[in-house]
Amino acid sequence: MTDSSFSPQDSLKLIQGMIDKARQDMGDNSQHFLLWGWVSFIGCVGQFVLKTILHYPQHYLVWLLTFPAAIISIVMGQRQHKQKLAVTYLGESMKHLWIGMGISYFVLSMILTRMGWGTSIFPFFMLLYGLGTFISGKFLQFKPFVWGGLMAWVLAILSTFFSYDQQMLFGAAAILISYIIPAYLIRRKNATER
Amino acid sequence: MDNNKIDVEQSLQLINTMINKAKNSFHDTGVGAMLWGSVIAICAFVKLSEIYFNYRLPFDINLLTLLAIIPQIFITLKEKKNRKARSYDDRFLDYIWLAFGIAIFLLIHVVNLTFAAWAPVSSEYKMLTGHASPFKFSEFVLPLFLILYGIPTFITGAACKFKPMFWGGIFCWLCSIITVYTNYQVDLLLTAASAIIAWFIPGLIMEKEYRQAKKEEAKNYV
Repeated sequence: MTDSSFSPQDSLKLIQGMIDKARQDMGDNSQHFLLWGWVSFIGCVGQFVLKTILHYPQHYLVWLLTFPAAIISIVMGQRQHKQKLAVTYLGESMKHLWIGMGISYFVLSMILTRMGWGTSIFPFFMLLYGLGTFISGKFLQFKPFVWGGLMAWVLAILSTFFSYDQQMLFGAAAILISYIIPAYLIRRKNATER
Repeated sequence: MDNNKIDVEQSLQLINTMINKAKNSFHDTGVGAMLWGSVIAICAFVKLSEIYFNYRLPFDINLLTLLAIIPQIFITLKEKKNRKARSYDDRFLDYIWLAFGIAIFLLIHVVNLTFAAWAPVSSEYKMLTGHASPFKFSEFVLPLFLILYGIPTFITGAACKFKPMFWGGIFCWLCSIITVYTNYQVDLLLTAASAIIAWFIPGLIMEKEYRQAKKEEAKNYV
C-alpha cells in the first residue's frame, strides 16, 4: 500500500464517509423512530386523558395501538431491507443496537404485564428511551440524539418524585425530546445535505 | 506534522478495524467481563445465603459492586495503554458500556425512589387489611436489572460476532421474564447464573483467545 493509493487523508475521508452514510441511513430509517415516537406519545397523552379527564377505568387500553404499529414497523423494515443496496459496518452496528433495544422493550412489557400496568412503569421506559438514543447519538456524532438521551434520563429521575398520572406526561415529554424531535432533525439534515 | 501523525494513526485504525472485521474476531483481555461476572454472582449468592441461613452481614453486599469500580478503572487504563489503535469497534463498544453504566446507576436511583414512594402505601395496606400486600416491589427489581444486563451483552455479541456474549444476552432476557414468576430466592439464583453465563464464561473465553493472539503476535515478530 503506497501513499498515493490510500493516503491518511483518504482514510479519514472514508471514516467520515462511513459515519455520514450511517447517519443518512438512520435518517432514511427515521420513519421507525417517528412511528414509535408518535405511537408512544399518543399512548402516554391518551392514557393521561382517559384516566384523569374522562375517568375511563380501562385507560391502559390505549397501548393496544402498539400492535398495529408493530405490524407496520415489520412491513416497513422488510421493504427497506429489499431496497437496501449496501450494508455498512456502522449500519450493522446500529441494527444490532436497535434489535437489542426492541427486545428489551418487549421483555419490559412482559414484566409489566405481570407487575400490573398501574404501577410506576414510566421511569423504566424513559431509562430505555435514553439508552438507545444516547448510544446512537454518540456513535453517529449527532448531538440531538445525545442530548435527547440525556434529557430522557433526567426526566426518568424527576418523574419518580411525581404521581403515576403525572409520570405519563413525563413519558410523553421524554419520547418527544429523545425520539420525535431528533428524528425530524436528522431528516432535515439529510434533506439539506442531499 | 503533528496533525499528519494523527492522520496516519487513524488510517491504521481503519485498517485494523477492517482486518478485525474480516477475521470476525473479537479480541479483548476479558478481565473486565470476568470481574463483573464474578462480582455480580458473588453478591447474588451472598444475598441468597443470608436468606437461606437466616443471618445478616453488617453491610450490604451489593456495595461490592461499587468497590469493583476501582479495579475496573485500572483494567480500562491498562487496556487503553496496551491498545495500539482505537478502532470503530472499540468506540461503539465503549459507548454501549458507558451508557450501560449510566443506566445501571440511574436504575438504582429510580428503584430506590420508587421503593420510597411505595413503602408507605404498603404499610398502610397492611394496617388496614391485617395482611401484607400481595404486590412486593422488591420481587420486580431483579428482572429490571436483568433487562439492562442483557442489552450491552447482546449488542457486543452481535456486533463482534462473539456468540458466547450474544447468547449470554439472550439468557439474561429469558431470566428476566422467568424471574417475574419466581420468588426472590430463585431470582437471586438466576441473577448469579446470568452473570456467570453472560460475562464470566465469555470473559474466560476472551482471555484465552487474547493470550493466544498475543502468543501468535510474538511469534510473528520473531
